[in-house]
Amino acid sequence: MGGTERSQSPPAPVIVGAGTTVYERHPAVERRTETFIAEAVVAALADAGIHKNEVDGLGIASFSLAPDHAIDLAWKLGMTVRWVMEDTNGGASAINMLQHAIRAIEAGDAETIVLAAGDRMEKREFHLMTDRYNRVARDYLAPLPLNGPNALFAFLTERYGRLHGLTREDFGCIPLAQRAWAGRNPLAVYRRPMTLQEYMESVPIAPPLTRFDCVPIVSGGDAVVVTTPERAARLKGPHAGVRAIRALHNHDQQEGDGIHSGFALFRDELWEAAGVRPEDVDSAHIYDDYPVMVLVQLADLGLIPDGDVKRFLHKEVLEEMRPVNTSGGQLSAGQAGASGGMHGLAESVRQLRGTAGERQVADCELSLATGYGMVLYTHGSCHNAAVLERRGG
Amino acid sequence: MSAPFTVPTCRVCGHLAYPPRILCPECGANDWGRTLADRGVVTEVTVRRPVFKRRQLPWGNWLDQEAVRLAAVHVSVGERSVRIVARVPEGVEVGDRVTLSAQASTAIALPGQVADAAPADGAAPRAPAHGGSAAAAPAPVESE
Repeated sequence: MGGTERSQSPPAPVIVGAGTTVYERHPAVERRTETFIAEAVVAALADAGIHKNEVDGLGIASFSLAPDHAIDLAWKLGMTVRWVMEDTNGGASAINMLQHAIRAIEAGDAETIVLAAGDRMEKREFHLMTDRYNRVARDYLAPLPLNGPNALFAFLTERYGRLHGLTREDFGCIPLAQRAWAGRNPLAVYRRPMTLQEYMESVPIAPPLTRFDCVPIVSGGDAVVVTTPERAARLKGPHAGVRAIRALHNHDQQEGDGIHSGFALFRDELWEAAGVRPEDVDSAHIYDDYPVMVLVQLADLGLIPDGDVKRFLHKEVLEEMRPVNTSGGQLSAGQAGASGGMHGLAESVRQLRGTAGERQVADCELSLATGYGMVLYTHGSCHNAAVLERRGG
Repeated sequence: MSAPFTVPTCRVCGHLAYPPRILCPECGANDWGRTLADRGVVTEVTVRRPVFKRRQLPWGNWLDQEAVRLAAVHVSVGERSVRIVARVPEGVEVGDRVTLSAQASTAIALPGQVADAAPADGAAPRAPAHGGSAAAAPAPVESE
């Protein structure tokens, strides 16, 4: 199979631009959620070379936009649209919107769609979000008090570590490698190189999780622009073509162990639909709310073919710096609320377009972006993944 | 004030669903009783440190944050089981048997009195805490 030519791509919609705002820990009062989303939209349109008047579809994901909605943003951005959506699926929202946007463009419902996400997320917003994430969080978890999902992912880390014989030093390969990538991303909030000792001695948050296993809470926004192949041909490439998207939500009714994810159940279908294999991937952008979930997704999507997680961590992730979350991911760049789901997709597009600056992966032709999220009781329930390829240019 | 820990149980197929669902994930029925499910084994433990030292509640006042010891508890009733996220006191470790009790809407696990907990294993569950006639008492059923 090695070196087999990929199957011919269908003339599917393409992503022609990506934008990410500066991620801020303590934004000025006047910088609201809509400010960050708008800045991301403007940046993505500039990257694509498309004027806002050419946009006829808008999709928005945010935890803190209320009482406004996507249509309020369309108005404030001066966009007249034929297609509008709002997505509430947190870490899975970006790829979920992409899945819808692709079909809308194929069906002719819209020609050029902007998908954007963003949040102003500080202490108060963060607690409001986590305590009222859903009814179960409000009624069964917040009163413990759980105070956000850290403890739940401490359980999953412990469980996964026991299954694969992993220690904290092993899990640490992910935050350490991502920090090294973040050093090449001027927009990341943590850029200073981190040593293993610093990681091991960092403040416990919910053991075995420490500060550097948890995402820094930031305010920011990300956006991408999707359009027809015909429209894309008139824009400066290369672009990011979508080879396949697959999703599975609530696969185990929250009754599984949380480390056997829904990704495993659509892995074969995803790669078959994409006409490529996991080992062909040049850059992977894996939803990284916690290091354990990066491992679960990489393994369940077939990127650790021998199942030797420990070797993979030390050899491929840390020593060889295999391109995984090249922006530094949320663990180093920051998690801007619902923008966490768009962050990896936007970075994937940059890698394929060759606009990733100092962290550009040489000759990046094929990229994987994933979404994961929406803890209903014990673990995330939403899973999706997109296989993207470089087109044109 | 605490109450015995009970778990919503499908009267048609016996599926345990905690927290409660609307339709049974297994058979689709909407006919629920409750089963006493207060004996469990701790599978993971953590001490959740506050993300911030103080936090502001939705109604405006500030609250000092404290560390809380939390556990994933595996609760078996006959052939069936559920995972419960519970608060546990100092000293509870992985592998410990615990007795669950319910306080308001919150699951609170107290250290199990191992000698008392052990004989309960495999025994028929006691009557449901509320709801349902004796005939509808959701005894654990064998999986089909």
